[in-house]
Parts: sequence; structure tokens; C-alpha cells
Amino acid sequence: MSKNITSLSGRKGLEENLFEKIGQIAESEGYLTKSAAHQLAQDYLLGDAPVYGAGTFYDFTRPENKGKKVFVCNGSACLCAGTQDVVRQKLLHHFTPEEIGQITCLGRCHENYAYHYQGHNYSGQVGLHLLDELPQPQDRAIDTYAVAALGQAILTTADYTLDRARALVQKLITIPAQRLRDELQVARLRGRGGAGFPIGIKLEACAQAEGDPKFVVCNADEGDPGSYSDRYLLEHRPYKLLLGMMIAARAAGASRGVVYIRYEYPESVETIQQAISTMEKAGLLGSDILGSGFHFSIKPIKARGSYICGEETALLASIEGQRPEVRVRPPYPVQYGLFGKPTVVNNVETLANLPWIFEHGGTAFAAIGTDKSSGTKLLSVDSAFRRPGVYEVPMGTPLRTLVDELGQGFRKKIKALHIGGPLGGLVPTTMIDKLTIDFESFAKNGFLLGHASVVSIPESHPMIAYIEHLFAFTAHESCGKCFPCRIGSVRGKELLEKAQKNGYKIDRELFEDLLMTLKEGSLCALGGGMPLPVYNALQYFEDELAAYFR
Amino acid sequence: MKTTTTTHSPQQTAATHTAWINGQPFEIQPGETILDFVRRHKGAQLIPTLCDAPNLEPFGSCRVCSVEVGKSGNGMQLKTVASCHTPVEAGMTIFTESEKVQKLRRNIVELILTDHPLDCLTCEVNGNCELQDVAARVGIRSVRYPQGQTHSQCEKDTSHPYMRADLSKCIMCYRCVRACDEVQGQFVLGVKGRGFDSTIIMGLDSNFLESDCVSCGACVQACPTSAIHDVYQSKAWLGQDKVRTTCTYCGVGCQLEVQVKENEILSITAPYDAEVNQGHTCLKGRYAFTFYKHPDRLKYPLIRRGDTFERVSWEEAYDYIADKLLSIREQYGPDAIAGISSARTTNEENYLMQKMIRAVIGTNNIDGCARVCHSPTAIGMQRTFGTGAATNSIDDLNYTECILVIGANPTAAHPVTGAKIKQKAMKGTPLIVVDPRRTELAKYATHHLQLRPGTNVALLDMMLYYIISEGLVDEDFVRSRTEGWEAFRDGILSLDIEALERVTGVSREEVRVAARTYGSARAAMSFHGLGVTEHYQGTYAVMQIADLAMITGNVGRRGTGVNPLRGQNNVQGMADMGVQPYQGAGYLPVEVPEVIHQFERFYGRPMPKKSGYTIPKMYDAALAGKLKAMWITGEDVVQSDPNSERVIAALKKLDLLVVQEIFPTETSKLAHVILPAAAFLEKEGTFTNGERRIQRVQKVVDPPGEAKPDGQIYVEMMNRLGYPQPSYSAKGVLEEISQIVPFFAGVKWDELGPNGKQWPVKPDGTDTKVLHQESFKRGKGQLVFTNFIETKEIAVHHHDYPFILTTNRNLEHYNAGTMTRRTPNRELAREDVLLINPVDAATHGIRTGDLVELESPRGKVYIHARLSDEVQPGILSTTFHFPEILLNRITSDVHDEIADCPEYKVVAVRIRKIATTEVAQA
Repeated sequence: MSKNITSLSGRKGLEENLFEKIGQIAESEGYLTKSAAHQLAQDYLLGDAPVYGAGTFYDFTRPENKGKKVFVCNGSACLCAGTQDVVRQKLLHHFTPEEIGQITCLGRCHENYAYHYQGHNYSGQVGLHLLDELPQPQDRAIDTYAVAALGQAILTTADYTLDRARALVQKLITIPAQRLRDELQVARLRGRGGAGFPIGIKLEACAQAEGDPKFVVCNADEGDPGSYSDRYLLEHRPYKLLLGMMIAARAAGASRGVVYIRYEYPESVETIQQAISTMEKAGLLGSDILGSGFHFSIKPIKARGSYICGEETALLASIEGQRPEVRVRPPYPVQYGLFGKPTVVNNVETLANLPWIFEHGGTAFAAIGTDKSSGTKLLSVDSAFRRPGVYEVPMGTPLRTLVDELGQGFRKKIKALHIGGPLGGLVPTTMIDKLTIDFESFAKNGFLLGHASVVSIPESHPMIAYIEHLFAFTAHESCGKCFPCRIGSVRGKELLEKAQKNGYKIDRELFEDLLMTLKEGSLCALGGGMPLPVYNALQYFEDELAAYFR
Repeated sequence: MKTTTTTHSPQQTAATHTAWINGQPFEIQPGETILDFVRRHKGAQLIPTLCDAPNLEPFGSCRVCSVEVGKSGNGMQLKTVASCHTPVEAGMTIFTESEKVQKLRRNIVELILTDHPLDCLTCEVNGNCELQDVAARVGIRSVRYPQGQTHSQCEKDTSHPYMRADLSKCIMCYRCVRACDEVQGQFVLGVKGRGFDSTIIMGLDSNFLESDCVSCGACVQACPTSAIHDVYQSKAWLGQDKVRTTCTYCGVGCQLEVQVKENEILSITAPYDAEVNQGHTCLKGRYAFTFYKHPDRLKYPLIRRGDTFERVSWEEAYDYIADKLLSIREQYGPDAIAGISSARTTNEENYLMQKMIRAVIGTNNIDGCARVCHSPTAIGMQRTFGTGAATNSIDDLNYTECILVIGANPTAAHPVTGAKIKQKAMKGTPLIVVDPRRTELAKYATHHLQLRPGTNVALLDMMLYYIISEGLVDEDFVRSRTEGWEAFRDGILSLDIEALERVTGVSREEVRVAARTYGSARAAMSFHGLGVTEHYQGTYAVMQIADLAMITGNVGRRGTGVNPLRGQNNVQGMADMGVQPYQGAGYLPVEVPEVIHQFERFYGRPMPKKSGYTIPKMYDAALAGKLKAMWITGEDVVQSDPNSERVIAALKKLDLLVVQEIFPTETSKLAHVILPAAAFLEKEGTFTNGERRIQRVQKVVDPPGEAKPDGQIYVEMMNRLGYPQPSYSAKGVLEEISQIVPFFAGVKWDELGPNGKQWPVKPDGTDTKVLHQESFKRGKGQLVFTNFIETKEIAVHHHDYPFILTTNRNLEHYNAGTMTRRTPNRELAREDVLLINPVDAATHGIRTGDLVELESPRGKVYIHARLSDEVQPGILSTTFHFPEILLNRITSDVHDEIADCPEYKVVAVRIRKIATTEVAQA
């Protein structure tokens, strides 16, 4: 992270956004070309190296992306479902191997066979059949999946109509920011992105910080393979999110908003763009909203393929057109965020809760769920369940209820659930009855609720291969800044690869040292968090794994 | 829960200011990291680091600085954190050596070594490698991982004359990238790819030579291994001696650490504890030192015999000079003799030169190169403030809220200060640049007022007008600290802004907005260079800059002031020492009887009573046959003074021309006697930088052949001419200076320390960062109104010579290039080139690389063109570093009305394409 680039990129800000330009060039050229990087460097008063270097970072702007025509999902759910070889075979009828790229999780975990072609996602049997020929632009395969709630629903209820949205905004502009913040403190809403940080504290800190303008950034970079609950909200409850951002902005004193949406969710980008423009046309976004003197505009920004951008400092660097490398904190984004200005970063689900809290009060929200984990939680469950889909439950709901009642049990033999993304815990099926869906229960039992995606690992899937997949994922997505993650993820992958060939046995002490180094030494949650599921595997699947170690 | 009382018991106070290091309590300071805290109390060695560097922001990538901490709030549960970016907190308990931490560090270093060549014994930095140190420290005995992916196949970069890269040795700590960004601000280095595949790149993944690298070497110094190094192997450990000295190349005054072995300089680095340059310097300071052993060095005294020079002994040379000087003085009087001293020599040497001319020869005909650069600054600031020197310090950039740069290109001519200004501008401090060229800083400026060359006075009048008309005057300051306000204000308000807008070519609205930026900042500081002084109205423009500062109250505080960027390393010191025909040492005016008596008492000789010739007047006098002898030290006046043909004609008329130099020059070709001098690396003394900082110069190697320090030559000559000057030592002369120069009263050789002192230095040794805090040196500040007058160069010649040429410097070369042309800098910039706007180039059918005839009323030169939008249509720009072109053949005879400084910046010329080069055809 360079303060100079933050500031220089900030001169053109969101209006002529450097990151967007990098993305646009890659869309037409396949990658950020050197000549285009040089021109951008001139325009933004930067050097060639940082601009070109930023382009080489993302899956879909780097030179290796040139010539790729179709992308096969390699996310954990598709991997465990074992559907992707079929997709690849079919694609080879139409493309050379070089033209087929990989893409990490399209969020089609409920039906798999996922691939990305000409800017659209396809999955399931429908998607597979389309590959007999090739999907045409009109073959938009919008997926369907079950959505249900247990108890008081907050997020899965019907989205706002424009009239209801207007009514909310009309009320919002009359309420002092301090009262809004107090209400949110009462609600005790904790961030749903994984870390569980109370949003009320963030908003308060941002409101108190010096700087202008202030930003609310929605982290819609739901990169955890296996999760698609944010995608659900983005595509089906966009007004809840946008109104939530507006409430956060009002509370934090912010005037600019950004929704940073992952490249792998093209339908989400479209939906949010439309919703923003509808609200703008209705005068509910922009300057002097409903004559109140309150300004708030939202810009959607399409990401370019990098898991690390889900980390807030990397995400902000990304918007600035820098390489999205994690930076040290303090300063925190609420003090020194986007373009060096105070910024609140929250994920989709967190923000989408705000309209309900605004309308029903913090106390009503706090009454849902548990003492320390208030409200509801969305979970996305994969195709190994009889009824895959997105489910909303009050915090504290037994995990068994999700598995048996909402998900209606498994279609096949499952040995573990990987809950909370690649950095989440690996819950053996024997532990399902011990857990309730809240931050504390998972933490206490040595797991992590995280973003609460559920990927099922079949009996037939070797655990050694699964943990190799986790190391490979980390190695692919590591930003490369901190030493433990950059080198350790690759060495871990190499050890596990080697162990599955020619009888090589991994030195257990060395492996323990590697996990400890990643966990204790990494700069961010990627390197720091990836040992958790591996530790779980070593603990619960010792019998299966013992053969690979000495 | 009960609330705690708000009164603090002693124990509580201690608890709020204390943290524990391995069980010992220490006091914490607000804002410091754990690493800062531990280093402050337990030294730099306790916690190992790799990605940390003294002049870079905390980065947190290597993690070997990890420590375990417990906080009283969480039941002392231990947590592992990186100490470099974790703030220390009261009540924290820090364990730097716990078993877990030691294991973590060892594991991390082991991981690094899985991707690092283990060829330490043949590595350049063997014994001086931070990775090696840390590996030894944490105790790596084996690398347990099986062979995996590595970066061992990275190609070496040997493209550049100085910079080298071998990225197989890179540990990806980003220190080079951060140094290029945070220190130099050049963004040449970056990273491509991600994760394990990421590697350092130069420019568009090319190499050092093809990139925009400015060769400052910050990355080399930052790199903890030899992944990025230089041709001098500046990080190699050879058990060499290190000598700290002051750079010879510009008025910034960087401190340098010179590695030397057996009378040979190995390399130069920049010490991190240097107050001036904080571990940074430029390619001239760091790399352009090999001139000292160039075969062209003058090694023996030479006397002209017909068309050739003959080697003679020092005795013979002294005899020859003494005979000539004495007979000329006998026949024509002392005023037929003149001296030009050198801003590249030390304070002590300048002092001795002027003393020799005044007290021994008996004339005030002593001048120096300040005449042709900052003499208008000295006079302009003396008349307004009372002191002709920078009011503030470069460090004040850390306190200012607005930077005004007028007629200066510091990223080329004062690179370290330029980089600091650029850093501030990039991070958002408002920057106003007044310059006809789109300089590097202008690109980053909030306001670039791109005026026509020669119209500074008109533009500054516009700024002053808007300061007043927009109500931005600091009335308290004006009332209590200045005089002449009413007349000044009336003059300014009667200006015809529309006419000034036409004259300058800058819209009044742009000027108004810029004036508002400057006038409404809580602290605004200005920098100016030769683009202000080298003009017909140069002194007036300096006074206007002082006016601007005074009417907005921007004098006497941190972050404010008027700060000339002094050109040569010791041009400030040269004037301080009395190298001016009208002021003796300490700026004492030579025509005032009390001063004459004071000097007579001090020197024990009768003193001349009238001011002497300035340099241009010396040439006039020589041409008129009144001046018969000149002694010129360290200044190639033929190449660097304007209208070279006239300078040559003047020097040819002399009966005696003594040239004291380190190299043969265009000027020495005309000499009767050439005396070989020691270069800055070969002698001791002091230089005074542009912020009045007197810093020590230390001898590193012996002079070549029989060359001697300039000071020793003057002393021997003074004795030869019958004046009993004690034998030369810098310390001795400095002591003499401190007795006559009031603001040197407390300057003592042994007390200058590693970072020198800023004058005035009181007898007790305390120095001064900011001048004029309570009152001005002259009492009240004088406001001076000036009206714009067009230079004769344009008024007379514009019709026949429609282009305006403005001259300047490039980064790679220094002044006449005497030194830098004799280093590999020549490979980076081989010739002077003419910058021409593409519109003009198209009109004249000129393409980059074409040879162009550049003609002024004085003569013609032939020069290659380069198309550039750095200059506007109608304006041309070039440098004068190369004698092959001798650009000053065409510069003009117009001088500043008051200070006699030549108008290098405005030359009426016409152009004609001579030949298309093959390069251009290709």
C-alpha cells in the first residue's frame, strides 16, 4: 500500500477510477497491456511499475488471461461434487485447452457444473446441456435455489418496493446521525463477513474521524468458495443493501458509497447497477436527497478476480488501482480508508440488516438470536443436501436443524462439513449435534462460523486431497506480501502433492511448524486462517491422514 | 460495576505510561510501535527485522519481528504480533525471546531459505547481509523442506551504468519498491504477479536503463540482500574505513559515507542519521565520484610556454605568479588585479581567497559564481529582511501547508529537496509552481502558472494584487513587522491586471486561485531558484517574493519563509565568507569606515576603500585594458558565463591569468599558470548548505600527483607575497573566521558534529533553524513595490529572433559538467539537447534527433532537438553542460539591474534545421 498512490489515485477518485480503467482495458484486450499501463501511469502521475503491476495481479487482467475464452469453476463445492471434469470434457469440443481458464467459485454451489462464458455464468444440468452447442447471449441461465427462513425473517423477506424505500428515506433524513448510531449500538449487530466486528463501533469511529468526504464501502466480494448468500441478497434483495448503505452513510457522515462486487457474479453487478439507477431516478440517491441536504451516491465497481480483495484493506487498495495487498492496521479504514479518507467497510449481509433495524429498532433486533450474536444468519448449503439453498435462521439455532430440516439431509455419504469458507472449520458430521449457529458456539468448539457457507465433503473424497486443495487455493490467492503466506502456502501444497505420490511421507514436526508459522505469523486472515481446517482435519481424520506422515 | 476514580495515584500514572519488556518496566511514548519502544530502551539488536528500514513506513511483511504480548485487560493471554506495526500500549507485557517467538522466527527464515540461493561465500554482501545476520541470529541449521519451486532462474539486470539486479536473491520485502515510492517518489520499482510468483519489476517489466529510474540508489541502499545492488558493490563488506563527509554537488549538502581502502574510494552511501538527507542522496552524490581518479586530473603546476603548457615545480609557479602580480600592482595599482573564488571550495578556502585579494593584494576585486546565480537573492533579501540567506530549514516542509516553487527545478538540480517537495505534493500539500517549463514538480502541482520567461515580476505583482484585493493580508504582521505598506499597497492596487495577464500569458483567474491558496494557508513556504534571479529584474522579483511572505505573515515561523535553493554546494558559504566586491567576510560593507578599520585591525594591513568589480565588470575592465591579472579558482567561466566569445576576448587581454582547477577547462586553455587543486574528497573544511548549515568536509583520499588543497595554495601564496598567514588547517582558519564573522561566533571545528550547525551560531554554540522570529535583521521588513519592465533582450531582438530560449540543468550533470562528464553519468546523458514544443517542431520540420542551428544576436550553436511538451510553443529550453556545444556562446549581455547577474533565462533566438539524423529517419 502506497500512501502516495492512494493520494494520487484519489485526485481522480471514483469519477475517473483507475481500477475501473484497468478493468475496462482488460475487457477489450484480454489483459492490461504495457502500452495502456504506461498511458494510465502518465494520466495518474504514477510510474509504469505500480500500474502494470496492479494489472498483473488479478485473474482477469493479468497477461496470462489473454486468449482465455471460457472459465471452469474450481471452487470447493464443485470440486467435492466432482462435476467439473464433465464440464471440461464438453468444453474441449469447442475450445483448445489453452482457451479454457479457471475461475474460483461462481456461487453456483447448489447445482455445480459451473462455468463462465462471455460474461455470464451457467451451471447445473441446464448449463451442461447448453454446452452441446455453446450458450448464446440469450441463453441467460438464471439459477434457482431454495430460500427459507426459520423464525423471524429479516433478510429473506420481500425486498423494498420503491414506495417503501422512499418512505424509509423520508424518515431517515429526519433522524440525527447520533440517534442512528445509538440505535445500531443497541442492536449489537456484528459484521457478517467473518470477523464479527460490531458495526456500531465502526460507524461511531468513522463519524468521529476527521476527513472529507467519507465513504461507505460494501464488500460484495464474496469470495469464499461455497458461499452464495451475499449473491442471493445482491440479486434478489438489492434495495435492502442499498438502503442499508444509506443508513450507514447517514450514521457515519459519509457521502459516497461503493459496492465492490466480485467479477464472478456478473448477474449481481447488473442487478445492483439497475437498482442504483432506479433509486437515482427516483431521487433517492445523489445530491440533496429529497431536499434534505443529505448527499449520498453509490457507485458499483466490478472486481477483477482476486480472493484477497475480500480483506478490507486489500479491497480499498484495489479500488484505488493499487495492487490489492493487505496493509497493516492501524491506521484502520475508519481513520485512513479509501483514498486516505475515513471509510466504513462492511459486507453485504451486514448492511442489508440495517433497514430492518431502522424500522423495528435496535432492541427488537437484539431480541433475536443470542446474547452475543444478535439477529439472524444466512447460510448457503451446497448440492450434497437434498434441498440446497439459502437459509435464514436466528443466531443460536442448532446446526442439526439446518442440516435436517432446512437442508433436508444429505443425498450422499458425507464425512465433514466445511463451514465458513476455506478459512472456516472442518466440522466432522459427528460434531453437528454439538454446534449452534452463532459465533461463540463455533469458536468454543474449535471452528469458525465465518460467512457461514456449508460445503459438504463426501466420504469418497480423500481428506489429503481436500487439504491440498485448501493449500492450493491459498497459494493461488495469497497476495504475496507476508512471508509466511507467500512461501508457506506453496510449501504446504508441495508437501501434500508429494505425499500423494511415490510414498513420500511428510515430516509431522515440519508440517506442524508450517501450520504454526502460517497461523501465528501471517499478516491477515488468509494465511492466518487457513491452518484451522487443516488442524481440524488432522484432529478428526487422523486415521485417514496418518499414512501420509511420519 | 463501580466507576473508578478520576484522580491518579502515582502507581496508576506509572501504569498508564509503562509497558514491560521481558519483565522489565519502561516508559512508553505516545504513538510508538512495539519495535520503536523496544529499540529505544534495549537497542536495535534485540528484535530481528527484515522488511523494516529506518526511512520507510512500517510494512509488516517479513514477520520476523514478531513478539508475544499480553495485556492486563485480557487476563494476560499471550498473543503473537508483529512488533513493527503494533502500537505499544500501557500495561502491555512484551516477550521478545519466548520459545514460541523464537520458533516462529526460525520457521519463517527457514521458509525464506527454501527460495534463496545459499551461495553466501561468493555473494557480494557476504558479511554484510541482513538475511545472513537474521539467519545466524535465529539459528537455522537446516532447511527441512524438499526441493520446490524457486526464483533461482531470474535473469540478472546489467543494463545500467550503476544499478544492478539479481532477483534470485530477492526476499520480496518490498524495501526497494517502498524506497522508490516513499523516499524518491519515482515509482520505478513495482511488483508483478501475485503470491509466490510475484517478483520485483522495473518500469514495464523491463530493466533499470529502460525504466524512468533516476539512479538515486535508494533501492540499493534499502535492499537487505544483494538482490538490488550497484556496480560499486556499496554493500560489500571489506572491512574498509568509512569517512563521513559533505557532498560537493549542490546546495542541499547531503551527508555522505565514503567507503575507502588503501587510498581508493570503493563506494558511497547516505547515512540514515543525516539531518539533511536521512539516508537518501542522488546519483551525483552516490555514484558520480570517480572523477577524482580520472586521468585528466591536473597533477602538477603548469606554466604556458607559447602554445603549450610546461610542468613546473610549485616554487617556480609561485615565483612566476608573485613576480607578475607584484609588477602589475606596481605598474597599474592593486585594482588591476582581480580574483574569482569558487563556490565548490570550502568556507575556509573562500575566506582565504578573499583575504588574499583584499588584505595581501589590496583590492576589493573579488567575486564568485554567486554573481551569476543567486546574487540577486542575496541583495534582494538583504534589502527586505536584512539577511541574504534562506529564512527557514528544509525540515520546515514537515510544518508547511502550502509550498510555492518559483523558477526552480529541484528534482533535477536539488534532487533530495526536490524529492521531499514531491513527496509532500503527492500526499496533498498544495503546491504552486511558477515556471515556464512543465517541470517534474509542475506535473504534481495544484497550480502551475506557466508564464512567459522573463515575466516573473509581472506574475508576482498579480499574486500580490490578489492577496491584497481578496483580503488575505496579515494586517497584524504588516503593522508590527514591516514598513512601506501604504506606498506598496497603493502601487499594487494601481496595477493594470489585464496588461499583466497579457504580459505573462497566465490568466488572472489562475493567479487569483493560486494566490488564495498561498494566502489562506496557515503556514506557506516559498522556494526559488535561478529562474527568479537570472533575469533583468531578478533582484526585484526576489524582493516581491519577500513581499508575498511578509504581507501574508509567512516569516519567522516553522513552515514559512523565503528559501532560495542555493545552486552550488558552498555558494552560501562563499558569500558568507566575503567573496563579493562590496561586502567582506560576514557581509560587512567594505566602504564603511568603521568596517574598514575593523578589517585593518584584524588583518593588520591597510584595506581598500572602494568596492571592487563584479565578474561582468571584470570582463569589461579587462577588455578596456584596466584589468591586467585574474586568479580564477574552480570555475570554468568560459563555459558557464554568458556570451562566451566576449569572456574569451576579455581573458585573452590579461597579462596574467592564474587558473586553479582540478581539471583542464575551457578557461584553463587561456591561462598563463595552471595550479592543480585537491577535490572535495581530498581535503577538509566546511561547506554551508542552502539552509545555512555549516557541515564538515573530511579528507578521504590523497590528492593526485602534487595537487594541493586550495587553502594551502592560498596560504603559501600569501606568504610568498609577504603576508604571514599561519600554515593551513581547516580548524585554524575556521577559528580565525569565527573571530570576524559575527554569525560564526560559536562555530568550532570540533563541535560541528555529524550534522553541522545552522548559522547564526551564538558564542555558546546554539544554532538557528528559523531566522527573523522576533524581528528582522534590519529591524522592520521593507516592502518594495516593483513594476514590470520588459528585458532589452526581448524588446530589442524579439522581432528578428522570435523564439525565447531558457537555460537550465539536468539531473545527471552539474554546472559545466567538469566533474560529472568524467563519470558514468555521461552514459546517462551524453549531450545538451534542445527541447522544442511539437507544434514549433512541426512548423520547422524538426523531429527528435535532428541537428538544429540555434542563433542569437551573439552567435550560433548546433544542437540536437528533442520534441517535448515540457515547453510551450515559442519557448525553447536547453542545458550548458557540454563544452562541445558551448551554449553560452549565444546567451546575452543583459544583466540584473542591481546585482549584475546575467540573464541566462531569456535569450532571443531563431532556429533552423540543419540535418536529419539517421535515428530520426529510422
